[in-house]
Amino acid sequence: MTTASPPSTDPGALRAAYLERLADADEPGAVAVALDALDAGADPETVLLDVVAGAQREIGDLWASGEWTVVQEHVATHISERVVAAVARRAPARPPAGLGTVAVACLDGEWHGLPARLLAEVLARHGWSVEFLGASVPAAQLASHVHRVGPDVVAISSSLPSRLPAARRMVEACRATGTPVLAGGAAFGEDGRWARAVGADGWAPDARAAAAMLAADPDGPWFADRTDEDATPGSSADRSAREEQAVLHARRGELVHLAAASARTGIEETPEDLADDLGHLVDFLAAAVFVDDPSLFDGFVRWVGTVSIPEGLRTDEVAPALDALAAALADSPRTVRLLRDARSALGIGGGPSTPAG
Amino acid sequence: MERSHGAPTRGEARAPEVTPDTEPVTPPPVAGPGLLEGLEEGVVVCDRLGVVRAANPAARDLLPGLRVGEVVDVARCEVLARAVRDGGPDGFETVVEHPAGERHLRGRRGPTLDPNPPPPQPQDGDTTWYLRDVTGEHARADTLLAAQERAAFLAEAGRALHGVLHLDRTARRVVALAVPRLAARATLVVRHDDTVTWAAAELGGGRPRVGRLGATDLARVPALAAALAGECAGSPWLAEELAGLTGLEPATGPVRACPVPITGVVDALVLLTDPRSADGETSDDPLTTAEEDLLSSYVARAGTALAAAALHEEQAHLGAVLQESLAAPRLPSTPGIAWGAAYRPARETMRVGGDFYEVVGGRTEDAPAAFLLGDVCGKGIEAAVLSGRVRQSWHALRLLEDRPGRLLTLLNTALLDAVATRDESPRFATMVLGDARPTGDGSVALRLATGGHPPPLILRADGEVEPVAVSGMLVGGIREARFGEAEVVLAPGDTCLLYSDGVVEARGPGDFFGEERLAAVLPRCAGAPAPVLCEQLEQTVVAWLDGHDHDDVAMLAIQAPSSRSVA
Repeated sequence: MTTASPPSTDPGALRAAYLERLADADEPGAVAVALDALDAGADPETVLLDVVAGAQREIGDLWASGEWTVVQEHVATHISERVVAAVARRAPARPPAGLGTVAVACLDGEWHGLPARLLAEVLARHGWSVEFLGASVPAAQLASHVHRVGPDVVAISSSLPSRLPAARRMVEACRATGTPVLAGGAAFGEDGRWARAVGADGWAPDARAAAAMLAADPDGPWFADRTDEDATPGSSADRSAREEQAVLHARRGELVHLAAASARTGIEETPEDLADDLGHLVDFLAAAVFVDDPSLFDGFVRWVGTVSIPEGLRTDEVAPALDALAAALADSPRTVRLLRDARSALGIGGGPSTPAG
Repeated sequence: MERSHGAPTRGEARAPEVTPDTEPVTPPPVAGPGLLEGLEEGVVVCDRLGVVRAANPAARDLLPGLRVGEVVDVARCEVLARAVRDGGPDGFETVVEHPAGERHLRGRRGPTLDPNPPPPQPQDGDTTWYLRDVTGEHARADTLLAAQERAAFLAEAGRALHGVLHLDRTARRVVALAVPRLAARATLVVRHDDTVTWAAAELGGGRPRVGRLGATDLARVPALAAALAGECAGSPWLAEELAGLTGLEPATGPVRACPVPITGVVDALVLLTDPRSADGETSDDPLTTAEEDLLSSYVARAGTALAAAALHEEQAHLGAVLQESLAAPRLPSTPGIAWGAAYRPARETMRVGGDFYEVVGGRTEDAPAAFLLGDVCGKGIEAAVLSGRVRQSWHALRLLEDRPGRLLTLLNTALLDAVATRDESPRFATMVLGDARPTGDGSVALRLATGGHPPPLILRADGEVEPVAVSGMLVGGIREARFGEAEVVLAPGDTCLLYSDGVVEARGPGDFFGEERLAAVLPRCAGAPAPVLCEQLEQTVVAWLDGHDHDDVAMLAIQAPSSRSVA
């Protein structure tokens, strides 16, 4: 129940103590770290963003390096959600200051609701009235919410660039009602460039930045050079990008199967981890086609081999998987170009390779 | 040949006795060139020094000051004079004074005349000018541009208004569109049922402001109320009353009230301050008429959009209230038991469906907690309403009967009786219900009964999965239905999962998710808290669906917490 260390307000020390409780799946202990810090005079925003969110980022790294399992990560995230609720109870936000209403939603297919939840808490602390719609919000649900409640701003959050096509649908649903959309999270690229590509009105790197941007300009657009043309779909390049993305989406299962057969020969059934990784590969490819940016796909291809998932895609399996996809998608020129570029960036061999064995 | 060119002018042509200021090098010709007489284009011939040597009637008509034999300057067309004298631009457009009003004049340099052939007695270096009246052209272009601008404004208004279904937002857009195109300031007042919404936008005033009032507040503003009702929109008190109602600075300048056409849903009135087209100005001027048409089109569009938004708001509110009452409940916090749930209706925008679950914590420390998870046939709101009936019956009946098997029998009867009172086709439901009692040593004792529902799964702390062997007939089918009962003890860390068939019937690309996959996925969640387990399963199922449509999905996990975590 009690933490070993004396209450401190130093974010670094708090985060370490908090992470230790998470590693132990100790919910009461984790709640105690946060509440003790509040009692010791720590700023609630610091506890939320530097301790809780900071620890969650470290957990992401632990998972990627294979030290934590997915279930461990989920348990930790679940505890952090409880902690956020406990912090909100102990140090409630003041009543809304009449700035307006922000609807906060995760992209459809984005299950990591915690960053959006933290954004909701932070914005409420900055005087906004906040509606938190939760993780993985379908575009249709967001549209009906926007029509019904009429928020002044919609904030969408995602950490997965593979969800960008969903972002486009959500942005379009909001723009039809004239509601500005502020995007946030790693899904939109390090500098938010893909937020622009999906038609959002602005991008914030984190919750603090989002609060500052909304305080400075509650109406947007926050991209300085944003014109309405940016947000108007319908150019022929845009259309063909969408068509190729739709092809990838429709053939996802089949493509995963083909890629798995080429990447790992001599297996009877595709291991689930491998299928997951190849599914992500296809999703990222589709997103890269969608926003027309090879760096999105290259980034994933570089990353996928470095993650230690027992049965997952191995570094030496990436090249044959890319070749198999390129062969199967010959009708989609953009997609093939992306695959070829990623393939040559790998720098392993050249031309059609024999299956790794 | 020569004569035909140099035909004498008519009698009224100026004679050379009008002495020019400058000394002409040669005596000015008496006549203009005959061929040019009939030209619609004005032609002026000047010599090197700028003396007009010839001018046809069209030119003289355009420039009444023009005199043959005098310097071109007397025509009071500066740019022409400059062009003649300095060899200036080869073409120009200018506006000249004319007894019939301003004329737009376009000029271009003609060929420098050769001494042969005349007209008139050509001299070395003579120039010719053709002048044309383009006033009409200009007027047509202006009219066209203005018409295009009006069409663009209305198109923009249509675009901006049609996508919005929220009343305040629509109101804000209506006024924002009007400024500055129609007026320096626009205020909108909308009455819908008991609510009055106003919105105001002002030139340079930033984001439009919006406010809401009760309809009773209209009693304070009789002129405004009358205008809103479509009677007498011309009261001089409108501006003042509006300021009183909205708390905004009263408008200075003329105010024009434009009631929107009757929509049957809302009453609305747009008040324009400093309007571009003044009220009651009856004019035959086509521009004024066009502006009036524009204004009424805009007001009509605003009315349609407001009515649509108001209707949608009404329906959405109705739906929201209904959804709220039917949405999945919050899970209680029960000492010694951890609960988890996931809910994903088939129609995701609705948040409700035919699947349902309910949990009620024990009223005292050692009283059992009761739970229910089920599925009525059908989807969407109809199914949700039926599920509401089942859930309410359960809430009431469980107070009288705590044995799960008996309770299910009572529910069966209640459902059948309810259907019998209406002209409804039989409605079936499947469900698992029961209660959970912490035994004091960290375990939880479950009593379960089921009617037509997939059997619950037990996930042991070590990852072993075993179904609870219990089955029964559909609920709401026949009065003599039989329902199976079972008792299970959950040791610390064990979880009992109740789920609807939407989980196993989730159809991805190719295949159903199926019981086997569910049983294979569960062990990975061993040791996870109940909410995490449900979240994991929901994600797995949604990933399996891969964007395909699905039936309602509901899960309820009952867990004896492991020693570490606390419910």
